[in-house]
Amino acid sequence: MKVSLEWLQKYFDTPLPEAAAVAEAYTFHAFEIEESAGLPAQAGDLLDVKVLPNRAADCLCHRGLARELGAILDWPLTSDPLRTPVSMNDLVGRSLEVQIEDPKKCARYMGALVRGVKIGPSPAWLQEAIEAVGQRSINNVVDATNYVMLNIGQPLHAFDATKMDDCKGEGKYSIVVRGARENEQITTLSGETFTMLEGALLIVDDNCDQPIGIAGVKGGKAAEVSSETTDIIIESANFDGTSVRRTAQALRLHTDASLRFQNRPSPELAAYGMRDVLALVLDIAGGEVVGVVDEYPARPEQHRGVSVSLAKINDVLGSTFSNQDVLNIFNRLDLPVTHEGDTFTIAPPFERTDLVIPEDLIEEVGRIAGYDQIPATELPPPENAPDQSRYQGVERMKDMLVEKGYTEISTQSFAAKGDIELANPLDKSKPALRTSLAENMQEALTRAKLVAPLVLAPGQKVRLFEVGTVFPKSGEYLALQMSVPEPTFGHSEVTDNLTEAKLEDFGRGYESVRATLGAFNQFSVYPFITRDAAYWGEEADDLIRTTGGPLITRIDLFDRFQKEGKTSLAYRLVFQSTERTLTDEEVNAIMEKVYTALRAKGYKIR
Amino acid sequence: MNPGRLHPLTIATREMAAIFGCLGFGVVMGPELETEHYNFDALNIPADHPSRDMWDTFWVKEKAKERERHLLRTHTSPMQIRWLEKHGAPTRIIVPGKVFRNEATDATHEAQFYQLEGLAVGEGITLAHLKGTLERFSRDYFGEGAKVRLRPSFFPFTEPSVEVDVWFPAQGKWLEVMGAGMVHPKVLENAGVDSKKYQGFAFGLGVERFVMIKYGIPDVRLFHAGDIRFDYAFPKV
Repeated sequence: MKVSLEWLQKYFDTPLPEAAAVAEAYTFHAFEIEESAGLPAQAGDLLDVKVLPNRAADCLCHRGLARELGAILDWPLTSDPLRTPVSMNDLVGRSLEVQIEDPKKCARYMGALVRGVKIGPSPAWLQEAIEAVGQRSINNVVDATNYVMLNIGQPLHAFDATKMDDCKGEGKYSIVVRGARENEQITTLSGETFTMLEGALLIVDDNCDQPIGIAGVKGGKAAEVSSETTDIIIESANFDGTSVRRTAQALRLHTDASLRFQNRPSPELAAYGMRDVLALVLDIAGGEVVGVVDEYPARPEQHRGVSVSLAKINDVLGSTFSNQDVLNIFNRLDLPVTHEGDTFTIAPPFERTDLVIPEDLIEEVGRIAGYDQIPATELPPPENAPDQSRYQGVERMKDMLVEKGYTEISTQSFAAKGDIELANPLDKSKPALRTSLAENMQEALTRAKLVAPLVLAPGQKVRLFEVGTVFPKSGEYLALQMSVPEPTFGHSEVTDNLTEAKLEDFGRGYESVRATLGAFNQFSVYPFITRDAAYWGEEADDLIRTTGGPLITRIDLFDRFQKEGKTSLAYRLVFQSTERTLTDEEVNAIMEKVYTALRAKGYKIR
Repeated sequence: MNPGRLHPLTIATREMAAIFGCLGFGVVMGPELETEHYNFDALNIPADHPSRDMWDTFWVKEKAKERERHLLRTHTSPMQIRWLEKHGAPTRIIVPGKVFRNEATDATHEAQFYQLEGLAVGEGITLAHLKGTLERFSRDYFGEGAKVRLRPSFFPFTEPSVEVDVWFPAQGKWLEVMGAGMVHPKVLENAGVDSKKYQGFAFGLGVERFVMIKYGIPDVRLFHAGDIRFDYAFPKV
């Protein structure tokens, strides 16, 4: 959610701190700030707030985020549109009729007919506000609907009433919210035509059975507001989150409206949205509200309230907050609270649909106080000794293999063929799950043999093993795969089923070998060249290294024998560049230098 | 005979298991092929809820007769349910294992990686214990001077939920390393544990990410490429 600091400022009398401080306040008490918007200090007026899923019902708007910031900074809001009661009873007219086919999918639908609007560009403040958060200004009416949505979170839509059927000139409009029929199509504002899933919710001009919108997702071309529009119908509704989500996913059409509806804002919000958008439209586009219809078949039950005790709060957080601390936090959040004895009871305001169980309130206390207020306490000693025997059994087996010269590899679980296939593979050439580790082992072995001189001592055989899960028809199990059988294991197979093996006994009390590693050295992807240097003389690792230079990536003394009082030594040198493929000629030149240096020591090259 | 080498993930997991072993955590393992129930529903992640978008999921092709949908586990958290169902409370476990996410791969994202889940349930286990445990773990794993800081977050299976940052004195910066929180009472109840009597914390960390931070590895794709040069890219100290 892109948030403009200038917009937030409208909610506070005192000037807000600079962007970095606001970002920090959110980060440690509410939401992370997306880094893609640049560092907050550099992005100027804009913050990209990652509103968490449990708060998307009330915080995908400036009002919600202003409320959070106010709670964090302990600043009151100058005014809160959701705390100012709505009164529109006297506006109900007969010029617009609304029917809702299924209240489960549409809890509320408000429609307002406004005649005599003048479509034109938005005033500068509105254009700037909309553009500041990355939206495009379209015209005054459309901008008004977007502004109110970005301000208080209620998605809104304006239809051109003159393009709708008013019952053959009688001025009676009729809207039905109904499920799409089989293969029913609609062309949206962007000009794309979609075939709806049967039952997916449509907004339909009932007089002529013309779809004019995909409910909660996008408006239709048939009733698009244009520069000639004079009469509009404004929609402020509440569509079911599941229904909107399924439609948006099926059509791959994710919009500001669908994002908000799928997070289930309260249907109470629709009235506030309608009030605010009508006020703004009359202000900047003129016209007269002829009537407002409010179909509200699925009014949510009155919230019973949530209670939590101070003891419970401190029990879960491990904190030492006082009654006053807690009361103070609930007040900062503007949560209506009654406090009796040790117990706090909150009657959550309608928009806070996330406050349901005591733990939800505990989280409010923890995060607003700040988790830096929570001490770090060590766990008490465990009642029973921990059981790691099965795990240690697997590790013991790995240790035995490493001791026998085996190196461990890890490979991907996806395969070209297998008994279990994925419905949505990432790599279409590997749509199944591996039934054994053998295929990957073969591939890894081929590659390991090619690169062996880089990492293994001369003469050391390439032996590999992998422990990983495989998925045959009979059921998944943890498999061991070796590149060659290990004779000391007492059988000739290269695989084993570690799920069936009784590894608990094998691992009980075992402490696996611990290794300490140094920092990672990126290995080169370029080919390497090996050369052997054999001579009569003394060990000369350092001389060879300094003479040979940085292209020598590995030196192994691999042969040594004595004859007639003299010592013969043989080194294997591996040459590799991190930047390019080496040529034989340049390696030969380096070898010449090495030989010259060895001869200068009086050693005889063999 | 020259010994071979262990994969760096094995080395890291052993270190973690040893640290948590000292704190009384056992090690358990669970299936990679999971049911929708254990991976999502029992963890308080209902179908058609936007919180499901937090996990890009590989689904298994359905065979008509199967009643329940299967998937590749997107996290090690299903073992919270499986273990509590079997063992009950009190308990302390870690669960290392491979998990899968259906998202495009790049230097910091792999479609398959290892997680290490931690779960401690008992009487009077608090968020402060979580902080103390993770602080101890971070010091033991990353070195003296490592500190832990918690930020608000959301996971359907914890309440409160936190994001965990670790301070690295060497680099002089905080890095986000894992998600954690107090086990949601519904999750305890779903696993048959009395949430009035017991409470606890859970956390989940990406093992590759820990190893990458500790040793300065630039690309997560190096881990599961079956290339022995990766094992040998670390000098043994």
